[in-house]
Amino acid sequence: MLGPILGVAAIVSAIGINESSKGHLKAVLSDLGTDLIVANAQGSLGGFGSDPRIPEDAAARVTRLPDVESVTGTLQMADIVTLPFEEAEDFYRAFPVPVIATGLNLPETLEVLLASGRFLNDFDVSTAARVVVIGRDLADEYGYLRGEARTIQLNGIDYGVVGVLDYVLLEPSMDSAVFLTFANAEEDLGLDSRDPSRLYIRAPTNTKLVAQEVPTVISLGGPDGANTSVPTDLLDAQSQVDENLNNLTKMMGGLALIVGGVGIANVMSISVIQRSTEIGIRRALGHSRGTIAVQFLLEALVVGVLGGILGAAAGAGVVWLTAELRGYVMVLSVVGLVGWAMLSVAVAVVAGLYPSTKAARLEPLETLRLG
Amino acid sequence: MVRGDSQVSEVLLSLDGVSRVFGDEVKVHALRDVSLDIRAGDFLSIVGPSGSGKSTLLGLLGVLDLPSSGAVRIQGTDMANLGDADRSRMRGGAIGFVFQQFHLIPHLTAVGNVETALLYRGLTAGKRHRRALDALEQVGLSSRSGHIPVQLSGGEQQRVAIARAIVTDPLMVLADEPTGALDSQNASNVMEIFADLQSPERAICVVTHDLGVAARTQRRITMLDGNIVADEHQDIDEGVR
Repeated sequence: MLGPILGVAAIVSAIGINESSKGHLKAVLSDLGTDLIVANAQGSLGGFGSDPRIPEDAAARVTRLPDVESVTGTLQMADIVTLPFEEAEDFYRAFPVPVIATGLNLPETLEVLLASGRFLNDFDVSTAARVVVIGRDLADEYGYLRGEARTIQLNGIDYGVVGVLDYVLLEPSMDSAVFLTFANAEEDLGLDSRDPSRLYIRAPTNTKLVAQEVPTVISLGGPDGANTSVPTDLLDAQSQVDENLNNLTKMMGGLALIVGGVGIANVMSISVIQRSTEIGIRRALGHSRGTIAVQFLLEALVVGVLGGILGAAAGAGVVWLTAELRGYVMVLSVVGLVGWAMLSVAVAVVAGLYPSTKAARLEPLETLRLG
Repeated sequence: MVRGDSQVSEVLLSLDGVSRVFGDEVKVHALRDVSLDIRAGDFLSIVGPSGSGKSTLLGLLGVLDLPSSGAVRIQGTDMANLGDADRSRMRGGAIGFVFQQFHLIPHLTAVGNVETALLYRGLTAGKRHRRALDALEQVGLSSRSGHIPVQLSGGEQQRVAIARAIVTDPLMVLADEPTGALDSQNASNVMEIFADLQSPERAICVVTHDLGVAARTQRRITMLDGNIVADEHQDIDEGVR
């Protein structure tokens, strides 16, 4: 009976997890919006031998495109030693924290809220205040308390933490980063210009068209200046991969069902041999070949029904557990559950056909050893 | 050959020129042109050495097999003209089997084993149970109805098998070496039960190679090389086993 149980459980859980994860992904996509474009500098921009950058004026040109709502430039800086407290210097030299110089409207463009405090603003720029915002994971790692007056050191200079950015689903690396203004980066950390290496562009309409236009707008028809991507497309691709994996699981479930069916046929065939005397007695008592066949088919049916019910229950349990662990909303069709359980019954009945026929064809004279 | 009162009784089962041949390439003639009438009230034995055709004759009498030629008739109905379902129904209604090895179903109780003969007859479970208990009482085993075969002695198991054979009130009880696996006391008891079961409406047929058992029946049919060589009525010898 293990075969049908495993088969149905595998199929039900593969489908259930797929549906639940799709439902989750749809919710995530609808939260993120599908209109964010990421443009990365590439090629010769920024000068030979240095990391590619997007000129500040090119970023301003993107802002003026008709469908673009907001644009934020960022630059991830290299070789900055970030220390939450001095004793941890060795550790943080070995595992540096990403430091990102950013435009002031990053939360609006990414549509992310602040977990606490505020983001960087014009006042900070005009007063050259040494303030930073940190990502949510970094805040957890530092043990940052809401509203706490805390400083961290960037290359030995103290910066006050004014806010914590909430989780950025499309850029998880930002969750453990430190954000500061381009002005501070120039002043304190030796940044040579305010040219970003990456633009986040929110374009609610004609998103794909804008994504195609942006490289041209940046390079003005020159050599490749930037490439663009729509991160939600990547998530879609990811879900496609998940679906392929689930199809594989379904196929393996189907295989388990078939193997289970062969197992049922095998065990029942042995049972027919073991019970040949009983079959002979029943035939002598007046049971017809049909009655004997039906008796064995019913036994296969019971195995199939029990296997189907237990398998569907086990599969539903796996889906529930996965949904709980991953924070999905459990999506499982009752009709589907019944359908897959019925498949188990069908497999068991088909598997029972051969041994049943074999039982019905047994000659009572041979099994009863008369005389 | 001595013919008694049974000549005037109804013929329950008849074999008319029956032959049975086994094998395709090498043919074995197990029965050759055998004719036999079994009448209501007969208490007969079929005797003969191994290979004489007793088992083949038993299979045909019990409608577990069909002849290669000739006709087997139960109350005039030729079994060859019936399909498997009808033939099975006829077998279940007209014949009660008792086997040498008892052939009880090991996981069923005594009463459960007797009830198997009443399945698929449109009886309620309660009716089946009552009739099975009545049959067990007839063979003196009502107190052991809840025991499974391994909890019963050989003689008791054979009595359960006899109860199973008579619970359907068959026209003929067909017993294959019914005392073969029993000690002399139990064998004697079993033969007494058969004698008690004898009635003007029913025939009892015992296949045996024990001449002592055959001596306790009223009619003895002797077989040799696939033929009936003697069919004689005899006085019952109560003293032998």
